[in-house]
Amino acid sequence: MTRLDDGTSGIGAASDTTTHASRRLLRVQSSPSRHRPLRRAAVGATAIGALLLAACSGGTGTGSEAEGPVEGGTLVYASGDAEPTCLDPHVGGNYPQALVATQYLEQLTALDENREPVPWLAESWELAEDGLALDVTVRDDVTFTDGTPLTSEAVAANIAHLQDPETGSSTGYLALEKVEDVEEVDERTARIHLSEPDSALLENLAMPWLAIQSPAALERGMEENCAAPVGTGPFTVSEWNRQESIVLERNEEYTSPDPAAENTGPARLERIEWRFIPEAATRYSALASGEVHVIDNAQPDAISRAAEDDAIAHIDAPRPGASNRIELNAGQAPFDDDRVRTAFIRAAAVDEGIESLFFGTAERSYSALSSIERHVHADPAPFGTDLEEAAALLDEAGWTAGDDGVRTKDGERLTLRFPVSTNQSIPAEISLFEQIQAAVAEAGFDVQIQQLDLASWYEALAKNEYELVSAPYTRTGPDVLRVLYHSDGIEPAPSGYFANHAQLDDPQLDELLDEAARTEDETERGQLYRQAQEIILGGHYILPLYDQQNHFLHRAGLHGVRTLAVSTPTFVDAWLED
Amino acid sequence: MLGAVFVLWAAATITFFAVRAVPGDPAETIIGGPGSQAGEEALAAARAEYGLDLPLWEQYLRYLGGLLSGDLGTSYALRAPVTEVIGEQLPGTLALALTALLLGWALALLLVRQAARGGRVSRVLGTIMEVTAAALPHFWLGAVLILVFATTLGWLPSVSTPDLPGLILPALTLAIPLAGFLGQVMRESADDALASTFALSARARGESPAGLFWRHVLRHAVLPAASLSGWAFGTLISGAVIVETLFARPGLGRTLFLAVQGRDVPVVTGTVLVVALAYVLITFAGDLLEMLVDPRRRRV
Amino acid sequence: MSDSHGQRSRPPEEAPEAPPADMRLPTGPNRATETGRDGALPAWRRMLRRIRLVELASAVILLLFVAAAVAPGLLAPGSPLAVNPVDAFQPPSWAHPFGTDESGRDVYTRVVHGARPSLLIGVAATAIGLVLALVLGAAAGLGPRWLDFTAGRVTEVFFAFPGILLALLLIALTGPSPVVATIAVGLSVAPGYARIIGGEFRRVRQAGYVEAAVLLGHGWWRRFTGHILPNALGSVFVLATLGLGQTIVWASALSFLGLGTPPPAAEWGAMLAAGRTYLEVAPWLTIAPGTAIVLAATAATLLGRSLEQRVRES
Repeated sequence: MTRLDDGTSGIGAASDTTTHASRRLLRVQSSPSRHRPLRRAAVGATAIGALLLAACSGGTGTGSEAEGPVEGGTLVYASGDAEPTCLDPHVGGNYPQALVATQYLEQLTALDENREPVPWLAESWELAEDGLALDVTVRDDVTFTDGTPLTSEAVAANIAHLQDPETGSSTGYLALEKVEDVEEVDERTARIHLSEPDSALLENLAMPWLAIQSPAALERGMEENCAAPVGTGPFTVSEWNRQESIVLERNEEYTSPDPAAENTGPARLERIEWRFIPEAATRYSALASGEVHVIDNAQPDAISRAAEDDAIAHIDAPRPGASNRIELNAGQAPFDDDRVRTAFIRAAAVDEGIESLFFGTAERSYSALSSIERHVHADPAPFGTDLEEAAALLDEAGWTAGDDGVRTKDGERLTLRFPVSTNQSIPAEISLFEQIQAAVAEAGFDVQIQQLDLASWYEALAKNEYELVSAPYTRTGPDVLRVLYHSDGIEPAPSGYFANHAQLDDPQLDELLDEAARTEDETERGQLYRQAQEIILGGHYILPLYDQQNHFLHRAGLHGVRTLAVSTPTFVDAWLED
Repeated sequence: MLGAVFVLWAAATITFFAVRAVPGDPAETIIGGPGSQAGEEALAAARAEYGLDLPLWEQYLRYLGGLLSGDLGTSYALRAPVTEVIGEQLPGTLALALTALLLGWALALLLVRQAARGGRVSRVLGTIMEVTAAALPHFWLGAVLILVFATTLGWLPSVSTPDLPGLILPALTLAIPLAGFLGQVMRESADDALASTFALSARARGESPAGLFWRHVLRHAVLPAASLSGWAFGTLISGAVIVETLFARPGLGRTLFLAVQGRDVPVVTGTVLVVALAYVLITFAGDLLEMLVDPRRRRV
Repeated sequence: MSDSHGQRSRPPEEAPEAPPADMRLPTGPNRATETGRDGALPAWRRMLRRIRLVELASAVILLLFVAAAVAPGLLAPGSPLAVNPVDAFQPPSWAHPFGTDESGRDVYTRVVHGARPSLLIGVAATAIGLVLALVLGAAAGLGPRWLDFTAGRVTEVFFAFPGILLALLLIALTGPSPVVATIAVGLSVAPGYARIIGGEFRRVRQAGYVEAAVLLGHGWWRRFTGHILPNALGSVFVLATLGLGQTIVWASALSFLGLGTPPPAAEWGAMLAAGRTYLEVAPWLTIAPGTAIVLAATAATLLGRSLEQRVRES
């Protein structure tokens, strides 16, 4: 049984991040939750995964939960994310693609409530003694929606597709770094050969960016595959009206629900209309008036308003991978000095701002990892605030107070450039940055927030023109730490992209992360990641803020919405009241 | 005619070079957007496929060559011919802009008429209304209209739909500020006309105030505003960027905004060309209207 | 002929065919009015009697805004950037007459301190637009043939661009800053102004008095400054005053797209854009700066109109 937060949790109920990470996998919210105990739908006995279930709020009228699921109907989903330019999540690999691809593509593995990999399209697997080969056996009763059967050949074709530079995969490509090649042992078994043991591989295979598509469909070429990828999912892509909607039709032959699904056959919904509504207020308004059934990227003010509306329910599904944090560029002055980094963190008070800007919907994080990840280590100690200590540290580091309140050293002002991507940071977050700017100004920091579009933002990072940056990173498993904080991550890719924005270069940390990535023993792995996180947190390289916010609001008449490995919703169980 | 061709050419040229000068690598747009971690091979492949490895002048000449044969190039981000992308988005924006233009005109006439009827107080009130209308930002006005008519009253959809009810709120959002501006411009001439000798003599002939307004004053009032129609269309496209985002309405404005953000050069240039063409046509129509209304212009 | 209150009556002008020429020129105090009812009063009393309520109100509002722009500290001693997260989203009260924003900053203080950057954007962008429009309009309407041709084409090309594209490109090229936003907005309103001014020049040029000046052998510059410009001034005036509000609003549209004045600067347009997120929870966040924009624009327009009328009447 999936753990649920205690029913009294209103928005932002405090749960202890440091110890009960896994308990927070699932937060079910109903409204008005503060006054009424939740009525929850039961999760099937096999319920697995970081899943949530929409609670049924005091629905009146017809089709109540007791009468059971209703067949048919069209679900209208309104996404606030950018419209993908390609519906195949192998190409590029970003969150908007994952959201929609969850409806028509599936993965070899899923993650259970403890975020341990469990079989999905793969029926079983076996790791070689030396850890250099993984035999994956796929299910024998699954067919892609174009009629192609699921075989070991499909696994090989998909991995080849992901590793082909022409595909331009980022997320999937990185996740398969250690895969050397794939051997088809028999019809159903594929042997994945590795260059070194990879304890993160099975976790990574659960990500939609590594979904398994029909090999026949992949051969159609990129343009066609981008327009309508073919998978094994509960829905198929039937129409794509650019800038407006993607129409998904039910897969009538569906046989492969994820392990946590309650429904074993085809989806109950007949169709999903996937709309793009970029403006948050419009999205909420469309939900409130019943024009759409589900919205993603629900903003804090909307969530708090929805709590007072019986007709709207709330799902809080923090994204896995990294927490939302501000990274301090330790690769150059002034943050190459630990004292200056510490001073910044001592001066940056964020708790009250998070509380008021997010209307209590976001909880302060003290970790580099998302609170839903395994082996998350949270420690509030390095992040205490103390203006006097900040001043003393800066004095000690040679930064002396200037006339206008900004400190200087050798004629250099203590200026911190903070490029902010308006595509990635919601208004509340930008306001929080402004508050940090005001707070650290007291200590003599001059933070310059630069609002940029995504391309210019990446450009600023590539040119190393930043001291502070906040960059989301979604991935499954604690191995994300290696991506983000291994010194290899400072070396830019040919496109100029690099992931280690803190420019953390610590041989000891590198060793811990490499070792953890090779270690299959979960306890040992956990210890290594804990030590790694102690270095990251203790070195004041980051200022964690909160989990990557991922809130969904939906009409109370919609039931059975759950989220999967990267917290994207699946509608395989979902049904609409008449 | 030659002038129109020149305008189109210059618009395309300026846009082409301006977008290329903007920071950001178009090759990244091709392979999955900014921040892509793709390898050198993938970038090189993308560059070769879209001819981005050629010298800039050669790319430009190729682009011009394509234009002559009606080929606007292929979108980097959408991997589809630009003509197709624009073809899909144009009708929605045209419907929105034209509806807004008509609504704007109607509202402006109403305002001017109302103000012309009364005394100084109503004129001051009219001015206040017009200036207020002209100073309403689209994003705010749209949000308030959604709040009132969609969320509270539930009369109209908040998300734009292809049918008529879905067009009303977005069109109104564009029309109200436009009406304020047109009203201000028209009023200037309307006041002049009302005070002129011909108005006096018409009144002396026993023309009713309403008749005077519709038959004589309006002609004068409409002139400067008519000459603005082409320009008004341009501002409507600018407004469409915001209104289409706000109402989640597919269209050229949103396409343009996303294309600039994504450094999708062919789409930006293609959109500018289409808008320029529309501008040329509408200005021509405006000039025709002007000539119809103003007998003096017919002689010229 | 004109009554003391300056009612709508004006010198009969603008007969469709041949407007009696130079009557409208502001060639110093016109003796004609002195024979009117006010003739016996001293000049200052006459001035005073002729001040209307609207003018007075407009002038007071504008003075207030100018005062806020020059010495914001006098009207609002606090800092517009002082955050206080605990006090976020406070509705208007005695302590915070316009409420507080999402970071607990005092909206009243921010509106007052926002006067300078906002008016600067408004005035500067309008000025850029008008100057550009005047140059283009003058070159097109009055210069030698080749200049006319060139300017005409340049205007056309300018026009063909959706204004916002110019702004988007410019900002993408240089990164967002108030200066860039101002220039971008100025550039994007210029074509509209050029069109209106061009039309006005054309209208005036056809008037009898300009043709007369041609016959008298006046050069084009003299014709322009002496006859055409003053007569086209009415439209320019209206545009300028209208432009004040419009340009601030356009700059706020850039903020809406995340490309305007960078946060957390107190600027009306940026405040409006930031406040729209909380339209339902905290409507005062947009009402206060929005009202400021509308008040400034309305006051400037009404006063502008009145002044223009007076110039014409005298």
